[in-house]
Amino acid sequence: MIDWQIIIEKHGPAVWQTAYRLLGNRTDAADCFQETFICALELSRRQRIRNFSALLTRLATTRAIDRLRRRFRRSHCETVSTAVPSTNPGPAQMAQQQELIARLRESLTQLPPQEAQVFCMRCLNDMSYRQIAKALDIKTGAAGVLLHRARAKLRQSFGVSPKEQK
Amino acid sequence: MEENENILEKAVRALKNEQVPPGPPQELAEATIAKLTQTSGQSNTVMSGRRFRFIERLKATNSFTKVAAAAVLLIIAGYAAGRLSAPQGPDAEQLQAALEPAIRRNLIDEMEQYWQLVLTSSYAQLKDELGQQYRSDLNQFAAYTLAASGAATNQLLEELIESINTAQTQDRQWVAAAFEQIELNRLRDNAQLSNAFATFAVRTEDELQRTKQGMAQLLSYTQPDSSVPNELQNLKP
Repeated sequence: MIDWQIIIEKHGPAVWQTAYRLLGNRTDAADCFQETFICALELSRRQRIRNFSALLTRLATTRAIDRLRRRFRRSHCETVSTAVPSTNPGPAQMAQQQELIARLRESLTQLPPQEAQVFCMRCLNDMSYRQIAKALDIKTGAAGVLLHRARAKLRQSFGVSPKEQK
Repeated sequence: MEENENILEKAVRALKNEQVPPGPPQELAEATIAKLTQTSGQSNTVMSGRRFRFIERLKATNSFTKVAAAAVLLIIAGYAAGRLSAPQGPDAEQLQAALEPAIRRNLIDEMEQYWQLVLTSSYAQLKDELGQQYRSDLNQFAAYTLAASGAATNQLLEELIESINTAQTQDRQWVAAAFEQIELNRLRDNAQLSNAFATFAVRTEDELQRTKQGMAQLLSYTQPDSSVPNELQNLKP
């Protein structure tokens, strides 16, 4: 029997962090949080889950990127200004950072799903290649290749802005 | 390209360092749990969990484990068959009556040995502990005594140094007073000597004057003579 309360208590903060970091606001993060656990429940009906942490991280990343993609597809990409107090020194730098974050989020939506997942798992969740490979059920080398491709595409995306591309 | 890399790294760092409010909120967690319960149904989860648990385990076990499990089952079956087919043993009461005195005696001997051993070891342990306690007390006492004697010695040394300093100060004061007195005496003697020299000079001058006058008077009393040397003639006033 799967005790979801314990699983939420144990892995909920990590899922919340992943969702919030990618989506940048509380409402979307809450929706993503719920979707992640519902998806995990459906998966648990079909197969035995051995590593909930990896599964939930993967699902949260996927759901968050899907939501980001939908958000940017609707051209609804306003910069979300979080009201969370920051320790950044000045408003100019803060604005620049917010701009960079928004741009990275937008660029992530343009990546293929698996590459975006690998990039987020590696760069935002600090997972090792082996952990990523285990979570996505791919080989370690493949995880490295996907990350390399994602980086290359993001570099390209940062080099030429979307408006310039159009 | 490198600049793009830097911007990308900066963006990743910014996203990573973006402050995330602690969460999930309690109401969200509760709502999620409710939704999960509603979606799954508790019994369904239990059933499905039980159903695939055994199958999963079977699938997960490799062939070596299966062979080992079969061998274990065969051994257990053989042992059970052997036990069941074995002849009946001797009467238990007879065996008990025969073995009880010997067991009792052995037990008493063993208990005696055990208690002797325990007593010996506890005596040795007690001795060690007392010795350690005695040594530690002695060390403590020695440390206290050393500290007290050191304090007394320091006190005496301080007093000695103070008295030496006082005596030296007095000596220096006396020497300074003596030097002052000597200086005053020297100055007084100097003044007296200079006065005496001045008086002596004045008197010498007077005396010379008087001698000169006397010589002139003496020369005026005598008649001029050729035998008088020229030097005496020049002495006339």
